[in-house]
Amino acid sequence: MSKYIPVIGLEVHCELKSNSKNFSSSKNGDGEVNTNLCPLDIGYPGTLPVVNREAVRKSLMVALALNCEVPQKLCFDRKNYYYPDLPKGYQITQFGHPIGIHGYVMIDTESGPKKITIQDTHLEEDTANMDHMSTYSLIDYNRAGVPLLETVTDPCISSADEAILYLEAYRNILLYLDASDARADLGQIRVDVNVSLKREEDKELGTRVEMKNINSFKTVREAIVSEIDRQTKILESGGIIEQETRRYDENLGTSVFMRSKVDAVDYKYYRESNIPEIRLRDSFISDVKNSLPILEYERRHKYIDVYGIGKVDAYTLTKDKKLSDYFEKIISYGSNPVDTSNMIVGFLLGYINKNYLSLDDININEEDFSSIIKMMSDSKISNKQAKDIFTKAIEDNKNVMDIAKEIGSQISDKEEIRRIINEVFSENSKVIDDYKNGKNVNGFIMGLIMKKTSGKVNPGVTNIVLKEELEKL
Amino acid sequence: MIDRNKLDDLAKKLMFKMNDNEYETLLKEFDITLKQMDFISNINDIVNVEPIFFPFDLELDDSCLRNDNYRNEIDFNDMLVNVKKYEGSKVKVPKVVE
Amino acid sequence: MTELLIDDIRKELDDGNVTSDELFNESIEKANKFQDVYNSFVTIMDKKEEVNSNSLLSGIPYALKDNISTKGILTTGSSNILKDYIPVYDATVYRKLKEAGAVLVGKTVLDELAMGGSGTTGHTGIVRNPWNKERSIGGSSSGSAASVALGIVPFSIGSDTGDSIRKPAAYGGIVGFKPTYGRVSRYGLFAFASSLDTVGVMARSIRDISYVMDIIKGHDDNDMTSLPDENIKYSDNLDNDVSGRKLFYIKEALENNSGNEELKRIIDNFYRTVDKARELGFEVEEVSFDKVLLEAVYPAYNVISCAEATSNNSNLTGITFGNRVEGSNINDIMIKTRTEGFSELIKRRFVIGSYVLQKENQDKLFLNACRVRRLIVDKMNELFKRYDGLILPSTEKIAPRFDEASDKLGDDYLILGNHLIIGNFGGFPSISIPSGFVNDMPISVNITGRAKEDALVLNMANKLEGILGFRGQVSKSE
Repeated sequence: MSKYIPVIGLEVHCELKSNSKNFSSSKNGDGEVNTNLCPLDIGYPGTLPVVNREAVRKSLMVALALNCEVPQKLCFDRKNYYYPDLPKGYQITQFGHPIGIHGYVMIDTESGPKKITIQDTHLEEDTANMDHMSTYSLIDYNRAGVPLLETVTDPCISSADEAILYLEAYRNILLYLDASDARADLGQIRVDVNVSLKREEDKELGTRVEMKNINSFKTVREAIVSEIDRQTKILESGGIIEQETRRYDENLGTSVFMRSKVDAVDYKYYRESNIPEIRLRDSFISDVKNSLPILEYERRHKYIDVYGIGKVDAYTLTKDKKLSDYFEKIISYGSNPVDTSNMIVGFLLGYINKNYLSLDDININEEDFSSIIKMMSDSKISNKQAKDIFTKAIEDNKNVMDIAKEIGSQISDKEEIRRIINEVFSENSKVIDDYKNGKNVNGFIMGLIMKKTSGKVNPGVTNIVLKEELEKL
Repeated sequence: MIDRNKLDDLAKKLMFKMNDNEYETLLKEFDITLKQMDFISNINDIVNVEPIFFPFDLELDDSCLRNDNYRNEIDFNDMLVNVKKYEGSKVKVPKVVE
Repeated sequence: MTELLIDDIRKELDDGNVTSDELFNESIEKANKFQDVYNSFVTIMDKKEEVNSNSLLSGIPYALKDNISTKGILTTGSSNILKDYIPVYDATVYRKLKEAGAVLVGKTVLDELAMGGSGTTGHTGIVRNPWNKERSIGGSSSGSAASVALGIVPFSIGSDTGDSIRKPAAYGGIVGFKPTYGRVSRYGLFAFASSLDTVGVMARSIRDISYVMDIIKGHDDNDMTSLPDENIKYSDNLDNDVSGRKLFYIKEALENNSGNEELKRIIDNFYRTVDKARELGFEVEEVSFDKVLLEAVYPAYNVISCAEATSNNSNLTGITFGNRVEGSNINDIMIKTRTEGFSELIKRRFVIGSYVLQKENQDKLFLNACRVRRLIVDKMNELFKRYDGLILPSTEKIAPRFDEASDKLGDDYLILGNHLIIGNFGGFPSISIPSGFVNDMPISVNITGRAKEDALVLNMANKLEGILGFRGQVSKSE
């Protein structure tokens, strides 16, 4: 008997960043309870939706970044259902004409690159927020109407690991585009998971079970693993999977039944007649297209394949667009990419983490950064000196090049210092006698060296070499 | 087939109840509506006509989209005129169970 | 004085023969006097809104249909579910009139949520016809029609989704204008069927209609379906020459196979009106229109309007506004609120609307209705290439007695009785003009024109009105 293969599809809802809501002018963002409001948000009679250009622009950016086909006309539909967090009694969404269809996202799995195909991505609106108390619920409508983008993959994901890789890749696309903050902890990104099992030889997909509204990627992983396990056990004991909607219960570590297919709601989708069809001019689409940055996946592969940076470091550099942008700007001034990457990953990030800083706190401009790396690559300064320069620049909030000048003009070369020390010895035989008689002469000799070199020697290196030379006596 | 149960189900999903007399009238109206729509279905080649959802093409393009400036027109104090039950600044309803 | 035309009232105001306060009081007095019998109003204002303006409408009293949002003033949609609803924002049409200095006298009764045509389904009782109180005024802009016909106000604002301005105007012997879809912002109009809904004007002359339209028309950033501004005043174009303008009437709509005497007299009046139009220089021709399409008008309207209405009114659950009826759980609240809040007619329409949108029925029912709508609109637009307007009797009968008025769906295909809906299907401007009397009740003819050509329709109607001789008509009720 062959094993069961999981087939997974994901629907990710993500709140888009904008100043105002998707269909009303009220604020999209922080605010006291029930203050970010317009009459539309609470479904007052006679109100009408007016589409936010920025929400359209952001969703179009995402659609293009997902390699989707985008429509020439913008259309919206209604999804009708009764729920207290939906004041209008319908959600404005895109059912028939999504902002993007037939796209894909590349992920790097252990067995190589894989294309996760996207069924569609569509622009809609968020619901109100409910707090559930012991005997009642309370509603805050600030979130009602916030632009929400739903991206639906085909059922083409075959493991929990792949699902997480996809989710991280998708989230990074949103972050790279600055389309969303995508903070799962704030509920800005929510995932519905579909899981079905089939045997290798099966042509048809198995019966799918949907798990709704999962709030963290970690929980998505758990939910998939446990659902695969649950379905496998049912199938292996000769049972059949019911098409149903379940809810993953973190405490129980398994999904629990919500409703069956028979009870599925008919949302009676139909065209939103308060929003006419809106032609998206070529100029609008091409402006958005031209504003797209190069995304994580492409950057990562360039770093590995073209620059020869190690996989792990390439991941690290591209995980955060700001960091990746910083890196790219630095190397644009001519420093060696591998040396630059090593300095960023091997030193800078560690320093930032150790001191609870962020990249924004780093005051070293890219051109100077590049110059230091070049000096280091040319062996004009040591790796340690380069790090010292950066540390000093950050800690003393000083200009990197000034510090470099300071440090760079010092005599740090061990052999040079050794030569100077021996000169001092030969000019001051009494000191050597004192040393041999057990006197501590280190300070005195240091003073002589400083005097002789006008203080240009590196004190740290000099101390070490001096110790070595004294021991030889 | 439309029968009393079907209508009952439809009404329930629309969040209201109807009584026997109301259902009786409604069943008759359904008879008429469906008969009339059968008549429309028989219009030659109707399935190949593109449905319209607006009286005419309003010929809008992306320049008609709203600029993304925020302005809160009302707050909870305005809602209070019409909200029956609340706690703090939130609207209160019996516990909603998923 | 409130029974006069706007120009005359304006003159009295400007000459200092009357103040706007006195006018307001006169309106209120009449409104109260007629209220018991005719029931035009849900709310009669007790205080005059003070706005200074130089506009022609400054100080002129008017009435507003009670499905138009007025901040701080009860707005019920004539439904129990909204019997205590106080809007927190102004509809655009109300704001514009207020800014022009027009004085709101009251909010008028409609058929519940504008879904009806009998004037009998409002939650505060039936509206009676000022020409005969045993008869209906029609609907849904019932109180708006009655208040103008009674001379309480020179004009009122209504809404029209199928014929809701034009039919009550015709039954009330006044002028009713449904502008092009989107000409007047719908922001603040309680939605019935968004793709058909229009805000319009009722008055006693086409000139008065035009004055009001000049104030309320125009693009609104709050309504994406509102049309761009035009650079013309309708009231400046009323007397343009119409000779050579071409009108058509539909042969099939004027068939009277049953030999009904009342209909015969209505049709006779129509042909006499056509003759008068010809005297003005209009060319009027008979056109044959695919009867199947004509018979499909009402069924398609029924399906589309019910579908849109069921969704549009899903906000009425009692959670954030409306007459919440408490219950043990959230669904219980919604169910009790809606069960008690809606009358039977509304529920029936919602069920039909919901059924036709269901996944398994949508293509055959809702989408087929939208397909037929296209065929009808295309056919009209084709005719509008050759003609400037369609002219027909506004209604197939005089205002019915209450025992004849029904909001139940009938199975007869009334072509003439339903032709006004075509105006909503295509968003065409359409106007009903009094043209005579049958059995002591007023009757009207209706002109429907090309979309966006409101100015031309008002111009043609004004010319016709001039020769028909019912300008400024007020009912003889006392």
